Amino acid sequence: MTKRLRIGVMFSTTGSYGAVGRTMLNGAMLGLSEVAASGSGPEIEPVIVNPGGDLSQYRALAHDLLASGARQVVGCYTSSSRKEVIPCFEKHDGLLWYPSHYEGFESSDNVVYTGASPNQHVLPLVDYLAAKHGKRAFCIGSNYIWAWENNRIFREALIARGGSVLAERYLPIGDTDFDRVVAAILEQRPDFVFNNLIGTSAYAFFRTFRAACRARGIDQAAEIPVASCTLAEPELAEIGAEAVDGHLSSSVYFASLAGPVNGAFIRAYAAQFPDAPPPSADAEACYIAVKLLAAALQQAGTDEAAAVRAAVADQRLIAPQGEVRIDPQTYHAWLTPRIGRSTAAGQFEVLLEAPEPIAPDPYLVQTSPRFAAAMRSPLLRLVKS
Amino acid sequence: MTFRPVQNFKGGRALLVMERTGREGALEPTLAKLGVSCEALQIVDGRAQLDMASLQPDRDMLFVDGDLDGVLTIELNPLSHLPPVPVIGLVGVEAPSRLKALVNLGATAFLRKPVHGGAVYSALFMGINQFLLRGGMQERLQTLEERRRGRRAVLRAVVQRMRDSGLDEDGAYDQIRRESMRVRQSLESYCEDLLSRRASPPDSTGHTGDPPLHRGDKRAM
Repeated sequence: MTKRLRIGVMFSTTGSYGAVGRTMLNGAMLGLSEVAASGSGPEIEPVIVNPGGDLSQYRALAHDLLASGARQVVGCYTSSSRKEVIPCFEKHDGLLWYPSHYEGFESSDNVVYTGASPNQHVLPLVDYLAAKHGKRAFCIGSNYIWAWENNRIFREALIARGGSVLAERYLPIGDTDFDRVVAAILEQRPDFVFNNLIGTSAYAFFRTFRAACRARGIDQAAEIPVASCTLAEPELAEIGAEAVDGHLSSSVYFASLAGPVNGAFIRAYAAQFPDAPPPSADAEACYIAVKLLAAALQQAGTDEAAAVRAAVADQRLIAPQGEVRIDPQTYHAWLTPRIGRSTAAGQFEVLLEAPEPIAPDPYLVQTSPRFAAAMRSPLLRLVKS
Repeated sequence: MTFRPVQNFKGGRALLVMERTGREGALEPTLAKLGVSCEALQIVDGRAQLDMASLQPDRDMLFVDGDLDGVLTIELNPLSHLPPVPVIGLVGVEAPSRLKALVNLGATAFLRKPVHGGAVYSALFMGINQFLLRGGMQERLQTLEERRRGRRAVLRAVVQRMRDSGLDEDGAYDQIRRESMRVRQSLESYCEDLLSRRASPPDSTGHTGDPPLHRGDKRAM
C-alpha cells in the first residue's frame, strides 16, 4: 500500500464534554504517531475536525469527511452523536471507529466498536455494588439515550438481584444546578448513587454532593458512594481537589494499571502531551481503534469499508489494558472489566478486575432476563404522623 | 396485571418464508446476533412447506415475504385473529393488497426489504410483544364475555333470593356474593349452579318455570 490514506478524526474538544474529547483526540494521535514511527504501517493523513459538542455539527462534518475521500473515521463520544452520523456512514459506505463505552443495543455494519459494551461496564458494577455497598440505588443522569438506557439496564439487573431504585433524575446536558437533586438524595439516603451525568454536569454534581454531605457531617465516599461508568482520570482533574477522591468507576482501563505495555503507553502519552492529565479509558479505546485500523488497512491493502471490516476480525492487539480483539459477529471488542476507586492524587486504585477479556454482548443476549422488569408502584410511605 | 415485554429473544427460532434474491439484507446475520436461529422453509410449487403442528409459540416466529403470493395459509384464531406463532411481514412492494395479505396472515410487525440491520430488533420487539399483548387481551375479553353472559343468572338468582327470603335487592345480592366467595367461585358461575340445582328436582307441583341457564347461553337479556 503506497497511497496516502485520509483518516477522519472527529472529537468535540470544546463544549460541555470537551475535556473527554481532548483526551480521546490525544489517544488517537498517539496511536497515529506510533503507526507512523513504526515505518511498517500504512501512510495515514489524519483530518481532524471538532463538532464542539453541537449535535447538528456531527452529521455535517461526517458528511464532509466522507465526501472528501476519507472512508474511515475515528470519532464520537456521546451515543446521540454516534446515532446522528451512522446514516451518513451507511449512505457513503464508510466505517466509523467508535471508541467509547456505550449502552449497547446497536450493531451497525458500518461501525467498529472499540469501547466497552454494557455487559463489560454496567453489569460488573451492579454485582460489585450489590455485594459491597447495598441494594438501594438513586440514579441520576444527563437527559439523553446513554443515561436512559444505562439506567434501565442497571435497574433491571439490580432488581433481579433483589435491589431497588429509589428514584431516577435526569438533567439537561451541561446543567450544573444540583441543589434539589442533592437534597432529594440526602432525604432518601440510598446505599449509593448511580451516576450517568456527563461532562460539566458530572463535575458540578460531584462537588455539590460532596459539599452538602460535608456540611451535614456525612462521610460521602463511605456512606453514599457515587458509582459511574463514565468517570475517568481527566475528569477527576476537572472535579477539583475538594471532591476528587472515593468515587467508584467501572471501566476496562485505568491509567494506574500495572504492566509493561501500559507503562510504555503512559510514558509515551506523557511525552507527547506533557500538559494533559493521565489518559482515560476512552483515550485508550481511541489508541486501540487507531492501532487496529492501521493493522486492518495494512492487511486489506485498501481503505474500502468491506475489506477493512473483514480484515479487522483477524486482528489481536496487546493493548495497555491487556489483550483486545474484535468479535467477528458484532464488531465489538473483547475487553477486561475492572472496578476502580478514585484517589486524592487524581488516579484510580483498582479494586477488582476480571481475570481475562470477556466477550462483548451488546444486546445482552447472554446476560439479561427474557422479560423486561415490571415497574412496581411506589410503596406507601408515612409522610405525617 | 402489568405486561412484561419480551426483550431478549435468545433461543428463538425464525422460520423464513422467502426466496433467496439477495434482498434479504441483514436479516439472518442480525438475528444471529440476537441469539435467534434461522431456518429457511422450502417452497415447493409456490407453497411453503410448514408443519403447523410443530410450531411452538414461545420459541418460533415466522418471517413471511409479502411479495410471494399465496405462499402460506395460516388458520387464525377466530376470536383474536392471531396466528399460532408471531408473524413478521417482509415488505417489498408497499401496495395495500400485499400489506393486507400479510395482515390476513396475522402479522404484528413489518420489516422493509432489503432488511436493514438496525430495524430487526425493533421489528422482533414489536412483532412478538404485540402478539403476546393481543393474546392476553383476547383471554381477558373471553373472561369478560363469559361473565357478561352470566349476569343474567345473577339477576335471576337475586330475584329468587328476594322472593324466598324477603330480603331487599342489596341484601339478597350481598348474601349470594358472600356464599360465592365462601365456595371460591365467581358470582356468575355460582348463580348458574344455584339456579340449576333449584331446577333439577322433579317438579311435583306442575309449575312450569324457566329452564335452567347454562354457561355460554347466548340468549339476550
